Amino acid sequence: MVRRGRGLAAVVLGLCLAAAPGALLAKEKLTVDLVNEPSSLDPHVQWNPDSYYVYRNIFDNLITRDDKGNIVPQVATSWKYLSDTEIEFTLRDDVTFHDGQKLTAEDVAFSVQRITDPKFASPQLGQFNKIIKAEVTSPTTVKLTTDGPYPALLGQLVKLSIVPKHLVDAVGKDAFNLKPVGSGPYKFDGWQRGVQVTLTANDKYWGTKGPFASVAFRAVPDAATRVANLQAGTSDLAVTLDSDLAAQLKNSPKAKVLSVLTERVAYLAMNIQKPPVNDPKVREAIAYAIDKDGLVEGILGGYDKAVPEMLSPAHVGWVEGIEPRGYDLAKSKALITEAGAKAKQPISLLTAPVYDQRVVQAIQQMLTEAGLTVNIEMTDMANWLKQMQSGPDSIPQMAFSRWSCACQDADGVLFPLLHSSSGWANAQDPEVERLLVEARQSLDEKKRLSLYRAVHERIAKELFLVPLYQVGIIYGAAKGLQWQPTPNESMFLNRMTWKD
Amino acid sequence: MRRFLLRRLGQVIGTIFGVVTLIFFLQRLTGDPTYLLVPETATQADIDAMRAALGFDRPLIVQYLAFLKQIASFDLGRSVIQNVPVWDIIASRLPYTLQLAGGALLVACGLGIPVGIILALYRDHPASRLLASVVLAAQSMPTFWSGIILILIFAVTLGWLPPSSTGGIEHLIMPSIALGLLSMATFARITRTSLLDELSKEYVRTARSRGVPMGLLLRRHLARNASIPVITVAALEISNLLAGAVIVETVFAWPGLGQVTVQSILARDFLVVQGIVLLGAFVTVALNLAADLLYSAVDPRIRLDGSRR
Repeated sequence: MVRRGRGLAAVVLGLCLAAAPGALLAKEKLTVDLVNEPSSLDPHVQWNPDSYYVYRNIFDNLITRDDKGNIVPQVATSWKYLSDTEIEFTLRDDVTFHDGQKLTAEDVAFSVQRITDPKFASPQLGQFNKIIKAEVTSPTTVKLTTDGPYPALLGQLVKLSIVPKHLVDAVGKDAFNLKPVGSGPYKFDGWQRGVQVTLTANDKYWGTKGPFASVAFRAVPDAATRVANLQAGTSDLAVTLDSDLAAQLKNSPKAKVLSVLTERVAYLAMNIQKPPVNDPKVREAIAYAIDKDGLVEGILGGYDKAVPEMLSPAHVGWVEGIEPRGYDLAKSKALITEAGAKAKQPISLLTAPVYDQRVVQAIQQMLTEAGLTVNIEMTDMANWLKQMQSGPDSIPQMAFSRWSCACQDADGVLFPLLHSSSGWANAQDPEVERLLVEARQSLDEKKRLSLYRAVHERIAKELFLVPLYQVGIIYGAAKGLQWQPTPNESMFLNRMTWKD
Repeated sequence: MRRFLLRRLGQVIGTIFGVVTLIFFLQRLTGDPTYLLVPETATQADIDAMRAALGFDRPLIVQYLAFLKQIASFDLGRSVIQNVPVWDIIASRLPYTLQLAGGALLVACGLGIPVGIILALYRDHPASRLLASVVLAAQSMPTFWSGIILILIFAVTLGWLPPSSTGGIEHLIMPSIALGLLSMATFARITRTSLLDELSKEYVRTARSRGVPMGLLLRRHLARNASIPVITVAALEISNLLAGAVIVETVFAWPGLGQVTVQSILARDFLVVQGIVLLGAFVTVALNLAADLLYSAVDPRIRLDGSRR
């Protein structure tokens, strides 16, 4: 039955080809396989990757990042600092929402006020709550005020979607979530729960229009099935593959592998208040025992990249020339012998199923080889997060973790990990805390870089944690899809093209 | 009969109340969804505010009473993760679960019962032993493996069937086979045992000695008498198929209830889990009741009110 259907399709296809050559060169419908369906498409009420992939195409932001990672205009054409705490954005006046209404400064101010209203309880509140005021200063200008100088502001604003005030006010939060309306290159079309979300191209988009008339984002939880769909030609793009599945795709006549190094950094977290990792010698031994290149090349298939510091080149705050302790098993063993019997007390290495267990097991193996006693302790993600943010008294001795602030600024990585105001931190190092606060309060990038250099050097010396690698992500794509994935894991459809 | 139904109704309400209470407290032993909802960079103040907004800062007993009040008014509440009413989530998934369970049951019974009959009637034949080992193999294959093998053969290599997702009947074929093969073995085994049991009875020997053909005997007497254990198993298997298709649903990206249950448990989406468990408890109880009623229909010796006549 399916075969007959295909035969018919071929005939129709043939007729179309004869009738309109060229019309078929464009790809009409793109099918994207995500892991799960979006939890919600109101951009202000959730924080999860499957929603993010979809709604970023429905909504515009004030500013965005280009494929190189630079912050560039989107709805805002320009911006200037009026003072250390005030910044004014000038807006385009040719942007309309999908319902035909014009996007105005009112909508921008409303969007900021909505996401920063504690009563609204946006999960993203913490990313924007340094903004204390959003005012319309003219029909095309908006002024934002922060509660102090905030250098990561622009890096955060690339994720603040602009929603239409008139519609959200009229229909309310729940109805807007079911039928989101934005100003982006794609319009919300339909949501078949559990199956797919479909978008259609916005023909009136002010910027680069989307190349596909319609796009379906499907929920395909099993990675092997996502690969099978690509191989069978029933999908065009699949997220979150591992290196083994990527190897399978490399021989496929229909599909190819796309990958990018992200702004996610993998690291070995330690609670340096707890024995035996409270002993600097033990921490040094751990740093010497871990073969980062072995992890990256041997286990992860070369898609990731070892880093010397707790950041990636995609972040503001990355500096060259930090010298970490390299892999040296003999030194590691000697240090453990030196540290004595107390170094051998059991260490539990906490992990959760989302992390690559091959890496966690390899780390356990490496540390055991050096002479430590490491036990892997598995818990689920909610519990993992709870334990990791529970403060110096109860953060586990050791954990494998990957960090993303989605802001590509050192402040979003180092501050929460090392400043004692955060539940994640346990270093309690006054010097690092002073540097972090100073870097957070300065808008002078040169000064910030020198402060972060000092932080990186201090981490390398004291080993509050061991930076491991910059995480690579692997997509599978149909041969015809031309797309450059970016470190911030966005999936902007209007930056893709199709070539048969 | 009426007394029986009334007593069963009481049991149904008691069972369901027990199940929802258990699931309410069990879930909350594991924390709440707040940490999963906020970005890593959220401060403790952000997390506390979020928890208060979701109502998880209230004492457990207050949350429980609020939940009971909601249930009593037939309201399953809203999902805190997906921001839609729980009933909408269940209602959108239920048709897919029923389709898959139906398809799998068709495979399981359609293959399992005839195979069981063959295994019983020709129990000493070598071909029957071979068939028995095929059945065993089908039951032993883990579905995450058999599912992906089916996809690789029929979708990727041969291109006959779509590899995953939903649509026409062709989307249902592979998931039904992958899921149905598991229960198929159970049906075959029970049918075989039950039929063998009947075959060894005196009336069969008498009938055979009087020259009644096996086919007629099978249709008229054996099928009916041997079907009681099969009905019991069918009731259990249907509730299994409705609840336990998580792996098959995941492999074939089939949007059934199993998948959404597991995702909701991991996401700590309490109200969704509670709603699904409530539904599951109700279906299981209803199926058992249906099986009890069926017993008396096929075997008049079974009286439902418990009195002997």
